[in-house]
Amino acid sequence: MNRALRRISIAVLVMFLLLLININYLQGFEPASLATKPNNARAFEAQFQYQRGSIVTSDGVTIAESTPSSDIYKFQRKYPYGPEYAPVTGYDTLYSESGIEYYENSVLNGSNSSLTVRNFIDLLTGKPRKGANVTLTINSKAQNAAWSALQTQTGGKPGAVVALNPQTGAILAMASYPSYNPNVLATHNGKQLNAADQTLLREADNPLLDRAINFTWPPGSTFKIVTSSAYLTQNPDSTPQTSVNSPTQLTLPQTTHVLTNNDGEVCGTGSGQAPLITAFAQSCDTTFGSLGLTLGGSTLNNFAQFFGMNSKTLRIPMPVTPSNYVIPPSKALTAFSAIGQYSDTVTPLQEAMFAATVADGGKLMTPYLVKQVTASDLSTVETTSPAQLSQPVSPTVASDLGQMMLAVVQDSDGTANAYNTAAVGFTMAGKTGTAQNGVNNTGLNDAVFTCYAPYDNPQIAVGVIIQGGGYGATAAAPIAVQVIKAYLASLGK
Amino acid sequence: MSSITAPSPAVDPDSPLIPASRSRRRTELTMLIFAFALVAFAFANVGYSLQGKLPASLAEYLGAFVVITVAGHLAVRRLAPWADPLLLPLAALLNGLGIVMTYRLAQQGNLLSAPLSSSATAIQVVYTAIGVGCFAAVLLLVREPRVLQRYTYTLGAIGLGLLALPALLPASISEVYGAKIQIRLGTFTVQPEEFAKLALAVSFAGYLVAKRDVLALAGRRVLGIDLPRARDLGPILVIWVASLLLLVFESDIGTSAVFMGLFVAMLYIATSRTSWLLLGFVMFVAGAYAASKLFSHVGERFQIWLHPFSGLNPSHNAYQLVQGLYGMASGGLLGKGLGGGQPYITPLVQSDLVFTAFGEELGLAGLMAILLIYGLIVQRGLRTAMSVKDPFSKLLAGGLSFMLALQVFVIVGGVTRLIPLTGITTPFLSQGGSSLVASWMLIALLIRISDSARRPPPRPIQEEGLTQVVTLQ
Repeated sequence: MNRALRRISIAVLVMFLLLLININYLQGFEPASLATKPNNARAFEAQFQYQRGSIVTSDGVTIAESTPSSDIYKFQRKYPYGPEYAPVTGYDTLYSESGIEYYENSVLNGSNSSLTVRNFIDLLTGKPRKGANVTLTINSKAQNAAWSALQTQTGGKPGAVVALNPQTGAILAMASYPSYNPNVLATHNGKQLNAADQTLLREADNPLLDRAINFTWPPGSTFKIVTSSAYLTQNPDSTPQTSVNSPTQLTLPQTTHVLTNNDGEVCGTGSGQAPLITAFAQSCDTTFGSLGLTLGGSTLNNFAQFFGMNSKTLRIPMPVTPSNYVIPPSKALTAFSAIGQYSDTVTPLQEAMFAATVADGGKLMTPYLVKQVTASDLSTVETTSPAQLSQPVSPTVASDLGQMMLAVVQDSDGTANAYNTAAVGFTMAGKTGTAQNGVNNTGLNDAVFTCYAPYDNPQIAVGVIIQGGGYGATAAAPIAVQVIKAYLASLGK
Repeated sequence: MSSITAPSPAVDPDSPLIPASRSRRRTELTMLIFAFALVAFAFANVGYSLQGKLPASLAEYLGAFVVITVAGHLAVRRLAPWADPLLLPLAALLNGLGIVMTYRLAQQGNLLSAPLSSSATAIQVVYTAIGVGCFAAVLLLVREPRVLQRYTYTLGAIGLGLLALPALLPASISEVYGAKIQIRLGTFTVQPEEFAKLALAVSFAGYLVAKRDVLALAGRRVLGIDLPRARDLGPILVIWVASLLLLVFESDIGTSAVFMGLFVAMLYIATSRTSWLLLGFVMFVAGAYAASKLFSHVGERFQIWLHPFSGLNPSHNAYQLVQGLYGMASGGLLGKGLGGGQPYITPLVQSDLVFTAFGEELGLAGLMAILLIYGLIVQRGLRTAMSVKDPFSKLLAGGLSFMLALQVFVIVGGVTRLIPLTGITTPFLSQGGSSLVASWMLIALLIRISDSARRPPPRPIQEEGLTQVVTLQ
């Protein structure tokens, strides 16, 4: 019997070994994947066990923080500025997160593997575990100017503003209107949360939508920057002074449709030819429609993509809705696409990227929102280093484009002449856009503006879109001016 | 391979020439003190973690626990002085950790899962007292393991009766979470199967010792495997049918697996014939497979095991298993510390899934320690079986040890998704009386057998000329 008993002992040994191997696998290797599985109440409740890290702007303003709470959880998430920063911070609710709260969740709640050693040291030294702080690239002055302008100057029309540092791609401001107050979603009461969520979802103007990166409008005439880039690059001998075909009326090929300028105005002297810079400053649709016919849809498409359009992979770290350029099926539509109509659509971020490229000598830097992650012991966990996304145009072409954009603002017949140096106190270069939309263009025009300043030493590039705002120069440009003014003031210039 | 172990002319391998000469009761007491220290530390840990101070009731609970287990130690001293010194301390340590976990789960819950009732810890201490009381009673009543052999058929009938009882009773007093395994008496419930296991183990041992020769020798050889005679298949068929009926009518797959495993292992120990192992294993797997196809609640268990995270499973059928896994995952290598995790999220964590609660709070390190404690108990039991001379005791000790191992394997393997999860208790750790009392009785039987294994032979009387008197018990 002892031999059988010995064999039974071996069987028992094998059984225990299997159990030991299995728990080693389960607790040693599986936790990371189990933590992201559906219905893992521990994973989402864990965030209330520890103090979540704060989100702060680059100039040190706290825009999301967790403070001790006396209800069912130990900490309450608070957003001191509510709707102003909502498109940036997103929300952190009982069940889900959005915005930076979502994309930086693992560092904010301290579960990221880069924090493991620090957490372990905290455990040993008896310090309460705390999530890491996320420092954004946002400048609070610029953000505040953008938000208050959107709130007060558009008559409640939806719109958004994005400001970039052209040299780095750092996002200096990102405001969207209408917005929502993330504090109402941070409640620990599930019923209140559901009610608030339902209210927000029912609102007709969709306040949860981040219009700065997740909604697109036609770029209108601001797309002429792309058309000009294509023209200047493909014709190396050309300069802003090169004379181009600028009829008062352009009959589109294969149709009887006639393209005219705004209110049927003449372009330049009315001779049918005008320097490129003049056509650009006056935003002559006939000139650029005609250039579009020459360049063709696929060339325009290439340049649009160099500027970041049609990209499905852009993240800031929130995914950015692609701005679209669709190669038109006919010549007539190609002419329209060259002036930012047809199926062209862009986000306000894309608008800012147009100007930023010109401002940075033709280099397009990847836009980013997270400047740095700092552990609770103030040591730096990670820092974002600026990265180039593409080189849409050469420095020469960029300089040509810069002169043309300067003319838009500084020339007496430029579309944005109201914001010349004398009027605003700094030298700005820009491009207006007024995009027709609706069935047969019966809808209100969307106001678009892209610009950078100061012209000699660009510090900031801004993109603004106001839905149904009318002329870009009157509805969108003043908002950009206020953002730039606030930002330059904060730099002490 | 069929043979009765031939006695070696030189040495009888079943009985060591030099018997252990020390009773080792002092070792047992020292080990028990270690167990107390660990339990006290765990208790304090829960208090500091949840309230920031020592638990107010620490002295009472810990005091009661110490008094009860020391009483158990004194009973061993008096009734089984030559017993294995590790069995009692190891069982006491697990029992103490079980009380601590009950206390911890009674202190904290959340909105969805309320904490255990505030009297749960006290009740668990009372169950411990009853368990150790029954432990002492077994030692007192069974002075020599062989006497149990007389009650082979009585205990067999009692065991089967206990098993069948919940199935025969109306569901209102026997059903719990879809399985008919208990008898409700007022607020108290008894799970007769826990005691049926012991009765049947004794009965199997008695039956197999009587029939081992015929089971081992008669038969035919087919394809290199010795097959038993058809008429000798009777008992294994009866047990197989009984365990399948148990599975189907009481929805208690885990217990049925433990019974089947127990019987087959004992059959193998008795006969040393591998064919029994193969036959038993094949029959159980075939039966379980057929049941999984025929009965939806059995099939569902397999679905949960194979696809816990797919479709609606994580929030419905597999909710309990999945939450247990999440708990263990959140514990990681070192655990959240006692009182630091959220084991209460897992439904029924205090009974079937208590292992995951330890996994969450003590981590992989703690779980490996707990598994090794179980492993050590089983090892001491098997060692006892090997060293005891009497075949009945040998078979009983081997069977009981294997049953304990199998029970741990079924429930721990179940909650860690090694095998399909079936609801059985975790010996000593689960909250609840029947399992705890039955586990203590199992330890009592092992201690009784180890006492008879290690007891030195009667000392020869040295004086010349006197007749040697040997007391036969």
